[in-house]
Amino acid sequence: MKNTNIQTQAQAQRPELPQGFSRETLKTVAVIAILVLAFTNFSEVINFLVNVLIIIYQYVGESFGIAIILLTILIRLVTWPLNAQQMKGAKAMQEFQSDKEWLAIQKKYEKNAEKKNQEMMRLYRERGINPFGSCLPTLIQFPILFALIPSITYAIGSTPLSILKLSSSLYPFQDVAALVPLNSKFLGFDLGLPERTLILGLSIPVLALTVALTTYVQTKLTMPAAANPNDQSAATMKMMSIYMPIMLYFFSVNYASGLSVYFVASNILSIVQYALMGKVNWRNLLPGGQKK
Amino acid sequence: MRKKLLFISIVLLAAVLLSGCTGAIAWPGLAATDETAYLANTNTVYAIDLKTGRELWSFSGVSSGFNLFNTNPSLFVTTPVITEDGLVIILDSSNKHVMYAVDPNDINTEEKTPNVEWQFTEAGGLWIAPPLIVGNRLFAPNSDGKVYVLDLQDGKTEKQAIEVIQLSDSNEEPGRLWAQPVSDGERIFVTSLDHSVFAIDIESYKILWDQDLGGAIPGGAALGSDGNLYVGSLAKQLERFDPATGDHTPVLDTNGWIWGTPIADGDNLYFSDIEGYFYSYNTKEQKLNWEPVKPDSAITASPLLLDDRILLATESGDIFSVDAEGRIVTWYDVSDGKAYTTPIFAGGHVLVAYLESDYYLVALDEEGHQAWTFSGN
Repeated sequence: MKNTNIQTQAQAQRPELPQGFSRETLKTVAVIAILVLAFTNFSEVINFLVNVLIIIYQYVGESFGIAIILLTILIRLVTWPLNAQQMKGAKAMQEFQSDKEWLAIQKKYEKNAEKKNQEMMRLYRERGINPFGSCLPTLIQFPILFALIPSITYAIGSTPLSILKLSSSLYPFQDVAALVPLNSKFLGFDLGLPERTLILGLSIPVLALTVALTTYVQTKLTMPAAANPNDQSAATMKMMSIYMPIMLYFFSVNYASGLSVYFVASNILSIVQYALMGKVNWRNLLPGGQKK
Repeated sequence: MRKKLLFISIVLLAAVLLSGCTGAIAWPGLAATDETAYLANTNTVYAIDLKTGRELWSFSGVSSGFNLFNTNPSLFVTTPVITEDGLVIILDSSNKHVMYAVDPNDINTEEKTPNVEWQFTEAGGLWIAPPLIVGNRLFAPNSDGKVYVLDLQDGKTEKQAIEVIQLSDSNEEPGRLWAQPVSDGERIFVTSLDHSVFAIDIESYKILWDQDLGGAIPGGAALGSDGNLYVGSLAKQLERFDPATGDHTPVLDTNGWIWGTPIADGDNLYFSDIEGYFYSYNTKEQKLNWEPVKPDSAITASPLLLDDRILLATESGDIFSVDAEGRIVTWYDVSDGKAYTTPIFAGGHVLVAYLESDYYLVALDEEGHQAWTFSGN
């Protein structure tokens, strides 16, 4: 009873939002504002990440591989609540799609897309579900992801252009002149360059292939079991598990292999995070696992 | 089914587009004879007629083996070097680590590409430094910390190093060699990113001395008219070396990292730093001729000395002219692009190579007016 009173008081203290302006809309606007702010000051985001990487690099015995892995862990920890929210949103959406009323709307307005959308929006409002709830937390991480790519390339500094960019990215307290040349080697790979390993006379992009493999496994393991395997979202998810590894492979094969280390570490950490939250779907790795 | 086909097509298209997105690792390399400019620009080396600005031929490396979607293209950023017998030495700065010698007089007319006279594939790291030719030998510093010595007259099409001079002890993180060596006839002097300057006996290939400068040295050394060696580094100092003993003294503190190789002209030494300052240092009097001037932005290129002026290429892309008294004016104003490459004077033109510009190369007349531009096709 006491708790209810506190909740009521807290609700009463919340500022009133204009009519038709829900809290979900407010969240969406906030995310858009953050994205705009991040992308308009993109070079600052890059510089910040470069400096963080260099600081970690100096504290871990000047190993860029370990620095990248630690930065990945740091980013995962910082974005943990967002990822958790995204998982929650995805689950809510999935459960919602097996709702009787939702299914009835799909069937009833099959040939009237406009009306179907109107009805779906009404239902979203009634159930308090934000249809963008699962993608907003992902969107907010985009500036970090996009900034990580140039950050890793500049920070490793194994080419003339990257050292030059590093010099203009570092904060004044960093003595980069003493650091150069930076140790870009990790497990025999030069992280500042696209990687190729000579195996039986063939030039094989081992790290890029590892990226593709871990991305595939990560997508499969973290893909929730579809309520209806034939619905559109299930088909999209299936497509995702194919095209994401392909896209990331081509990305990794062309850019500094430090990025591959980031992608691999990120994939593994993602699986760990899902596992800790009990959301890993091991069956998805088995042929026909979705059907069970 | 149609949707699936469309989807697969989009993914394949994106993959192909991405495979062409190899990021630049350095600025273009530029060399020229009186008639032809050779521009190493990203994935291609172009030969350009200096009179017309038209492409004579191009070279994109020799493909080897299976390469899905051309995901391992060659990369050309190192300044080409022209041998006495007219061959053009081209270095592939991708992870293929190949050095080619092409004959500009032996062109495959169908493909408009020169035939490869010989190649060298033994290096273990990136080619960034242009090699130095001394007589019949070529000294090629590599990012693996070694200098490869090749015999230019052995007639082999697959060159093998006659000597490999290991300058760095560490296999884990070799001292990268990014600058063209310089020779006084008895020794060659090599600078390294691991902060060292090395003197190597030109006959025995033995390291005579090596000295630490306290900062990485991306540029080369300059031999002054006083017989001393001058080297700048990221330690923001110009140092003078006794070429025989390696004894060295700092002679000037600078405002920023010294990147480009200093240029000696009589008693004067000209060089710049990446804070954008340009210095004129008198080696005889051991003092600056005038206070350093600052055009507008970082300078990585060496200055170009003309009869009546010195030209400076800056990160902003603009070219500045400095007179003997240190007065500076904008000589060529550009709308976009970055000029990190040292400009050269050839065939009556000042040639400026650009990065991140629509034009790869701009030819200017002696008044700084644009004669022609070259944009690849």
